[in-house]
Amino acid sequence: MGEAILQMKGISKFFGDMAANDNVNFSLEKGTVHGLLGENGAGKTTLMNVLFGLLKPDGGTIFIEGNPVTIHSPAQAMELGIGMVHQHFMLVPTMTVTENVMLGLHLPKFPLLNPSLVKQRINELSQQFALDVDPDALISQLSVGQQQRVEIITALYHETTILILDEPTAVLTPDEAKELFVILRTLKAHGTSVVLISHKLEEIIAIADEVTVLRNGELVGFTKIDKEVTRKEDLSAMMVGREVSFDFKKQKGTSMHEVLSVRELCVNNERGVQALDHMTFTVRRGEILAIAGVDGNGQKELCEVLTGLRQPGSGAITLNGNDITQASPKQINELNVAYVPEDRQKSGLIMDWDISKNLVLKNFRKKPFTKGLFLSKKEMDEAAEQAVEAFKIKTDQVSTLVKNLSGGNQQKVILARELATDPDLLIVSHPTRGLDIGAMEYVRSILIAKRNAGVGVLLVSADLEEIFQTADRILVIYNGRVMGIVNPDVGIQKVGQMMAGITTGEAHA
Amino acid sequence: MRNLVIKQARLGIQNLLPSLISVLLACVVTTFILLLGGYSPVAAFTNLFAGAFGNPYRLSETFVKAIPIAVIALGTSVAFRAQLWNIGGNSQYTVGAIVAVAVNIYLDLPPLLLFLLSFLAALLAGLLFGSLLGLMKAKLNANEVITTLMFDYIVAFLLSWLVYGPMMDPEGGGFPQTALIPDAVMFHKLLAGTRLHTGLFVALVLVILLYLFWKTPQGLTINMVGHSKSVAKASGINVSKTIVFTMALSAAFAALAGWIDALGIHGRLQDNLPGTLGSVAIVVALLGRLHPIGIAFSAIFFSALMVGGNTMQRFAGIPFSLVTIIQGLVIIFVICGSVFEIAHSRKQGGSHDA
Repeated sequence: MGEAILQMKGISKFFGDMAANDNVNFSLEKGTVHGLLGENGAGKTTLMNVLFGLLKPDGGTIFIEGNPVTIHSPAQAMELGIGMVHQHFMLVPTMTVTENVMLGLHLPKFPLLNPSLVKQRINELSQQFALDVDPDALISQLSVGQQQRVEIITALYHETTILILDEPTAVLTPDEAKELFVILRTLKAHGTSVVLISHKLEEIIAIADEVTVLRNGELVGFTKIDKEVTRKEDLSAMMVGREVSFDFKKQKGTSMHEVLSVRELCVNNERGVQALDHMTFTVRRGEILAIAGVDGNGQKELCEVLTGLRQPGSGAITLNGNDITQASPKQINELNVAYVPEDRQKSGLIMDWDISKNLVLKNFRKKPFTKGLFLSKKEMDEAAEQAVEAFKIKTDQVSTLVKNLSGGNQQKVILARELATDPDLLIVSHPTRGLDIGAMEYVRSILIAKRNAGVGVLLVSADLEEIFQTADRILVIYNGRVMGIVNPDVGIQKVGQMMAGITTGEAHA
Repeated sequence: MRNLVIKQARLGIQNLLPSLISVLLACVVTTFILLLGGYSPVAAFTNLFAGAFGNPYRLSETFVKAIPIAVIALGTSVAFRAQLWNIGGNSQYTVGAIVAVAVNIYLDLPPLLLFLLSFLAALLAGLLFGSLLGLMKAKLNANEVITTLMFDYIVAFLLSWLVYGPMMDPEGGGFPQTALIPDAVMFHKLLAGTRLHTGLFVALVLVILLYLFWKTPQGLTINMVGHSKSVAKASGINVSKTIVFTMALSAAFAALAGWIDALGIHGRLQDNLPGTLGSVAIVVALLGRLHPIGIAFSAIFFSALMVGGNTMQRFAGIPFSLVTIIQGLVIIFVICGSVFEIAHSRKQGGSHDA
């Protein structure tokens, strides 16, 4: 083989000032599985969305079989033989497989749809690639793995030569993942080229022929995979990147008494799968405990349980000696816990409201914001003026809607609100994701200032640079389990390996 | 539909411009339709206007009809602000009217006491009915569009059964209606020779009360739940409780509209009492951008269309269905306007962290 079916040269894509892809090259050979590796936010999905016509690149050219093409829409991408399976399935549970496949297709505008023709093609593909999908089954009756195969069929329906899979194993059980790999090998044998977006090192080594590594939107590495030679450690080093410079002169944490204690905590997620597995740890006043881990290893569930938004299965949580295992968000709030959620636009702010109101979401019922029966706009605005100044929120007036603020300033609004009540415990989840450098440093300096003031800080992050800059202790989470709690001086490589699920013994081997 | 109304809830009275444009566009399109049908647009609109506002009697009729529309629409707006699509204005209005009439014809008490007691009974009935709808939404996650719509049928048949059966006036010669409420309990007439009654002031008080309610913490809570349930939850708000309260309040307004009409115009129960009030109220709430004062004006506008439409049909020979056309066009333009606004605001902001 050895011929490139697809080449992307110098692809750039900017969101505002942020480069999601910066002059990225990518080359895919016929009949291979090509891993696209990188941390969250490294630009993997952006690159593939450009290829699939979902995003318009700001620069660069795409070549298919050597011919330059511009791809404006997914429909056009499909015509060029590109199919994509998204991370989140787009299936209607109450409809059959055939109906869903028809929905997902950009079929030529026939006078009438022809389900029997579609059904025939599904059976054909199902046999050819050992997908084992019943075209008449209802989606709601299928397992997640089977639903994914329906998505693969939709992607393969037109003579597809390039198949993109966005984090396909994120939703699968280990057994389902193995079945998926069998399918990928069959596809490969039939000459289909597969792009596998992932941040899991093992699966890239297990299935991919080549790998391209992205970091912060830039291409940082390309290598052929040889199962005997390629080591997880090398890939992990590429993915995590350079050694971190410690910009923040931290004074040694003065660890006082425990503020939060978590014992043997088990929690299930929405699908009833165990998300946290007997987690035990403590956070002391005046320290930053970082929860390091690749997204989707239980961090979201942990934050939700600690803030009362999710019911724990078993285990105990105590805050300043009070048992809060079954407490409501309101009760936890009143025990001086501040929370900066991961998705600030969906869970942290009301985008259509102004800065003033967003600053009092948790205490607008209390004095001075409510006087007698009514809210006091004057008091809210005055408090907001102070917060805008204290937290350097860039805005002309406190009546600006938060949706018109930059990401960094939105985050400052949340921090201002959460820190207004002098918390004992501050839980922050991915506080600098998507922020520019300036805002990033500001947010981190706030975390350190609060720690120095004696607040216990629980920092959930996937950004190792951030963790090493700020944390006093690092808890590495993997598959909902505590992989270990280490001091920052063990080094970034070690923590990176633990995040990938490599145990200590293996790492030194 | 999910986001349409939310855009409006944010806007104050100064932002009624989009509604005015919707009305204007509806009139422009109607003009073309009239020309196509060979009617004179000038004659149509002058008769429409004169029919609604041309003399004291017509003006009074416009206000008489606007009262229940406005009060039901106030209730509709409460639910819509919380993203709860309560479309059962008719049944909630009917429940209020049934209770109000029952108290008045079955209890033998002084008029003032009957008046107050029927008010409290209608209010309570509305609150309870709304709570039931809210509980079904909050606890069973029953879609409120379906439940409120279905209860419209249940309550309509309940009303039929009552007026044909247990509540039928024994001295009414077999007409499907109840006995009359004592005259002394009824709202006084404001103008001799018209049907305009002092219930108008009750409606005005309700407009003002709701206006003030949006400035209380509880009002803000309802808005917050409408904007983002996840933010509300994280801020320590009991979302289920808020949903129940919102539906109770929403239904209470409609029930009070039933009470006002019972004691202001009808004086008794008849079959099919609410007619199309509930559906008109939805449009009025949207056109008024869920703002109490906007709702008051848009209720007068819709009521004027209906009252003026009758005159237009009689004097200019233009079919009443023209009024239905204008109403329909207003709805279309209001919704188009919301879609346009959302698209516009998306373009301007919100693309961070894409």
